[in-house]
Amino acid sequence: MGDYSIAKTLDYKGLPCPMPVVKISQDIGSVDVGEVIEVLTTDPGSLADFPAWAKTSGNEILETQQDEGTIHIFVRRVK
Amino acid sequence: MDATQKQELRRLFASRLTGAVRMYLEACTHCGTCIPACHAYASEPELRHSSVGRAENIRRLFWRHFRPQGRLAGWLNEAVELSEDWMEKVYETAYTCTGCRRCVTYCPFGIDTQQIQSIAKLLLIGAGREPQVLSMLADMSIAKGENVEATKASFTQAVQGLEEEVIARWRSEAGREAIPIDEKDADLLYVALAGKHSIIPAAAIMNAAGENWSLSYFEAVNFGAFVGNPEKTREISQRIIDEAVRLGVREVAICECGTAYRVMKFMMGELPFRVVSFVEVIARYLREGRIQIDPRKTEQRLTYHDPCQIARNGGVMEEAREILAHLTRDFVELQPNRVENWCCGGGGGLVAMGEKEFRMRSARVKAEQVRATGAEVLATACENCHTQLSDLNEHYALGMRVAFLSDLVSQALVASQ
Ligand code: SF4
Ligand code: SF4
Repeated sequence: MGDYSIAKTLDYKGLPCPMPVVKISQDIGSVDVGEVIEVLTTDPGSLADFPAWAKTSGNEILETQQDEGTIHIFVRRVK
Repeated sequence: MDATQKQELRRLFASRLTGAVRMYLEACTHCGTCIPACHAYASEPELRHSSVGRAENIRRLFWRHFRPQGRLAGWLNEAVELSEDWMEKVYETAYTCTGCRRCVTYCPFGIDTQQIQSIAKLLLIGAGREPQVLSMLADMSIAKGENVEATKASFTQAVQGLEEEVIARWRSEAGREAIPIDEKDADLLYVALAGKHSIIPAAAIMNAAGENWSLSYFEAVNFGAFVGNPEKTREISQRIIDEAVRLGVREVAICECGTAYRVMKFMMGELPFRVVSFVEVIARYLREGRIQIDPRKTEQRLTYHDPCQIARNGGVMEEAREILAHLTRDFVELQPNRVENWCCGGGGGLVAMGEKEFRMRSARVKAEQVRATGAEVLATACENCHTQLSDLNEHYALGMRVAFLSDLVSQALVASQ
């Protein structure tokens, strides 16, 4: 994991389509610019959806990790 | 609203005025037959919740801007000028209607409310007043298509992580991956959603049938269609079309997502492959004896909600009954069903937009219809319907389990006897 601290961890496991992306686009406003949210999900599609959302919304995906069925996505609020 | 913007909105309106759409706008006799056909009106009897009520908001603009008598004697048809205020009515037309087209089957002239609604959605985009969440989701899908190479490896790894759960439902043949991706010369490309619940059951079923299949990198859902943007709808679909052509598949099977199926099947013109709903695929496997299911595994009383975009607007109805006949010995139809089934009340983008209060209020008739069956399991074949029905189940305390057809089938797979 990179050198950053996590402001918030949000559990999006088991949400129906398209809620993970809808929720991150809302929840990103709950942290300050520069802060990092860790999202937990089980959706394989999120690994492509989140970077695409970050690109269009001007935020940043720092990294993604996968362990025992859980996907961790680290999102930095840029704007 | 300044003259330039009005001119632009007029141009957008005109772009939708095909011969058929003009007929829909001109032919309405205000007979009122469509009024009780709308679930929103049946749940809350106000004219603005009816097909004709919604269409009038667009029809009155049409009289003013596209008919000489509307310009000269607008009072005759209550013609109205495009304005900021009227855009609120346009919004109501676009986003209190689910585009289910139940009303169309009742109208003696076959006036297609969804076509009129599509004018409303386009005008909202032109005025920058469409729900931003829908445009955001459509843009995300397009960006994903542009960057697919960057995320292929992590997506593949995540999908491999699901293989154990697939094998728990059905072992895969030796030498074959449980979830094949990027299989050149696969016969069938399966297009899922982001969630694993739309991948695991389907994978188990296709493996049980010995299908030569491949999982798409892209999600089936098309938010370009939900927001009513024809260019984005095409771009989002094109990602899947290009992938299918690259792999040389003969068939593209769309997961349990009504809009995705309807867009790919009916709105993309001629394609070099067949487009089917996954419901059709399961029915075919059963018909051909390629899979067997044990009805004792679904013991509770079961009913089935026909998703509007798959059934009424997609023609896939009897295939679902074929599956249900194998799946359970205690099936009860919703009344009415098939073409006449009530919409769940969550289509047209409403689920993604939230709108829970309106969705629950306008679908009271749906909850009553479901409750009357006395069923314990409510099956369906559309993600959007599944979410809305789950919300209704909770809101109206229906005490049911809402399930996908593919999930029920995959849980009941047995080896041939
Ligand atoms: S398409 Fe469906 S929601 Fe829209 S007016 Fe007709 S019946 Fe009502
Ligand atoms: S049924 Fe058809 S003609 Fe009659 S009011 Fe409705 S849209 Fe108009």
